[in-house]
Amino acid sequence: MRTVITGLTRSKAGRKRWSRSRRSRLTTVGISILAVMVLLAFIGPLMVHNDPLTVNMSERLLAPSWQYPIGTDHLGRCLFSRLAAGAQTTLGIAALALAAVMIIGIPIGLLEGYKRGRADAVLMRMVDAIGAFPDFIMAIAFTGFLGPSLTNLMLSIILVNWIGYARVVRSIVLSEREKEYVLAARAAGCSSWTIIRRHLLPNIISPVIVLAALDIGKIILIIASLSYVGLGGQPPSPEWGAMLNDGRPYFQSNPSLMIYPGLAIMLVVISCNLISEGVRDRLDVKSI
Amino acid sequence: MNQAAGKSIKREAPIVSIEPVLQLENLYICADKGKEHRLLVKDLSLVIRPGETFALVGESGSGKSVTASAVLGLLPHNLQVTEGHILLSGEDIGRLPDKKRRKLRGSKIGFVFQDYQSSFTPFIKLGAQLIETLRSHRSCSRKEAKQAALEWLEQAGLPAERVYESYPFQLSGGQLQRAAMASAMMLEPALLIADEPTTALDVLAGERVLDLLAKLQAKTACAVLLISHDLRHVMKRADTVAVMRHGQLLEQNRADRMERDAGHPYTRMLLEAKPDLMELERMHQSTLSAEA
Amino acid sequence: MTPLLTVHGLNKTYKEKGRSVHALRDVSLSINSGECVGVVGESGSGKSTLVRLLLALEQPDSGESLLDGVPMLSLKGKKLREMRQHMQVVFQDPSSALNQRLPIWRSVMEPLDNFKHVLPAFLADVRHSRLETAKKLLEMVGLQANHLERYPYELSGGQKQRVAIARGISLGPKLLICDEPTSSLDVSVQAQMLKLLTALKRELGMAYLFISHDITAVSIMSDRFIVMKEGRIVDRFSRGQLLGEERHEYTKQLLAAAT
Repeated sequence: MRTVITGLTRSKAGRKRWSRSRRSRLTTVGISILAVMVLLAFIGPLMVHNDPLTVNMSERLLAPSWQYPIGTDHLGRCLFSRLAAGAQTTLGIAALALAAVMIIGIPIGLLEGYKRGRADAVLMRMVDAIGAFPDFIMAIAFTGFLGPSLTNLMLSIILVNWIGYARVVRSIVLSEREKEYVLAARAAGCSSWTIIRRHLLPNIISPVIVLAALDIGKIILIIASLSYVGLGGQPPSPEWGAMLNDGRPYFQSNPSLMIYPGLAIMLVVISCNLISEGVRDRLDVKSI
Repeated sequence: MNQAAGKSIKREAPIVSIEPVLQLENLYICADKGKEHRLLVKDLSLVIRPGETFALVGESGSGKSVTASAVLGLLPHNLQVTEGHILLSGEDIGRLPDKKRRKLRGSKIGFVFQDYQSSFTPFIKLGAQLIETLRSHRSCSRKEAKQAALEWLEQAGLPAERVYESYPFQLSGGQLQRAAMASAMMLEPALLIADEPTTALDVLAGERVLDLLAKLQAKTACAVLLISHDLRHVMKRADTVAVMRHGQLLEQNRADRMERDAGHPYTRMLLEAKPDLMELERMHQSTLSAEA
Repeated sequence: MTPLLTVHGLNKTYKEKGRSVHALRDVSLSINSGECVGVVGESGSGKSTLVRLLLALEQPDSGESLLDGVPMLSLKGKKLREMRQHMQVVFQDPSSALNQRLPIWRSVMEPLDNFKHVLPAFLADVRHSRLETAKKLLEMVGLQANHLERYPYELSGGQKQRVAIARGISLGPKLLICDEPTSSLDVSVQAQMLKLLTALKRELGMAYLFISHDITAVSIMSDRFIVMKEGRIVDRFSRGQLLGEERHEYTKQLLAAAT
């Protein structure tokens, strides 16, 4: 029996349990916020029938009313509708980017970790080279070079971020493939594909999910920040970061133009972080 | 022991009772799993005298390691001693507050575990760890501590200077376990608990560890509680052997009498589980010569 | 009679942190059908490397291994996989040799699932049903059918090792390599395991390569002994010659420690 030499006293273990339940409550908070945001993206336009893109100069900078639940912006567009449409844009692009990143990164990581041929060394050096650039700089360079647009922004995010997943998956596969149960599977005549699918894939799922939950927040921030400096969403796109940028000149008079999109970004990123922590907790406890 | 200086007053010599180093009296240890209570150790009583090697033998789950943890005060939070006493040199240590219990660990009760890796911090050199151990229980200068550490490593049959400067991962399992033993004995505890010290080692490395144990025990005159799952293996090294199963003590006897007098069927089973190699070979030889 | 397994001059060196470790030096041995050859060696003797090379899980630097006349180490891909059915393994630590996330029946049936066309004689009447086959295999190693749904962590060390043995015999291999099968087990359980292995060997007519650092266990099982030290074979002898004077010094040391 492996005794805990640190001597975990009863009170210490109790404290551990309390903080864990507290964290799971925070995770629920995170999930609810994100759920609300996603709901906003889908149901928002159904609730408020204003076109987020139509310019209506006579309606500009209005205070909240029944028709415009949180007022209008400097071009007479309904802020609420723009927030909802922006949710679709921001969250949609972030989700797409994340999916692409995982679809590219995970298989590469699996193959590289398992096969370990000569290609492995070459690929890893390439990966290191690309990964050496902070994704922000990369995104700026990319969009600056190819022209500012949400598509180019998404491409640059994908280009830089698949590496993280490939690396994580590869390192797990490298360590697991030497374990006895994998050797036993090989001795039992399993093909490489069977081994990857049955024995290695389950091991990478939890770390990847944790990484993904954290990355979503990061990607959303990049999209918003780059749109803020004009390199992402172009007008009249209702992207949150672009909305922040649009609202800048009016900060003194109508701060709500900046506050609402800013709040939206902040809440989504916080909720993603909380969810990622919660996921890590749950999956950590399960693993033996 | 006190030596009366030259006085020859005749007195009624009192019956010299040698105080046992460790005494377990009707010990019960219980595991809590939610609402379930499971008895891991039932009504365990044993006595270990100074200088004695006491072997506690049992299979996994027999409660032997749990007993050791209880003596050391290192039971995990869901296990507790529900009844009985643990007496160290007459003092009931079960009642002591955690702080005092901690002080006993290392200085009065030494321990060596099966997992030799966990005896040392992986990223600190062994010498530094040995010095820290010494200086946390004794007041001495760094120089004195280093000197003592080197001496003990020497005693352990290890290349002292080299091991002193090494990290744990640079030593083999056997070497590390011997270093762990030296580290435990350095503080000259009254009792050393060795929980399956050779189970994770090869035969020859294990023998060296047990030889060292005997040597250091002779030097420090400490008592040893040797825990193992291999009855035959410890019978050679112990003075007293006790067999445990399902938390209860089944049989206890002097080591040299155990083979002959073993009464309980479980003990007999343990003895027969590992046949004597010499016997086996002689049987094979006689079969071969009978066939020839 | 040609031996079932012939190994010529196996050499393997690992490069670790700049140092070269000679794991195997010029190792040659042979095993006949139905025979048990025991390999005694401590850690660092090269026995684990030998197991990996024989199972073609790694490539040697030089040397060859012939199973039934087929050079195993020159095979790749599908051809190699086909040959695997004749040579199976039981590893030392059943906790790490079984995938903790899979239920027992999955682990036991894995070899047969890979070789759907293979039909060992002793499974002839149940092979049509996966469930019946799994049950029969567990029964042969002394476990009950209700263990099928369980996960490794619910079983004791001895039970897990039985599962590993059931898996090892499932393809009816000609050779079963037992890599320290009893070293992780309590003494009381070791004896049962050795009894089981002996019974299975007789019943299924397999040859064994029995590797252990415990010379007593090896001598219970083996017809012939090989003693390894630091990558080399230092002694070879048969049953009944263990106590002979001509034994290597190292063998004598191991004997002295065991008695």
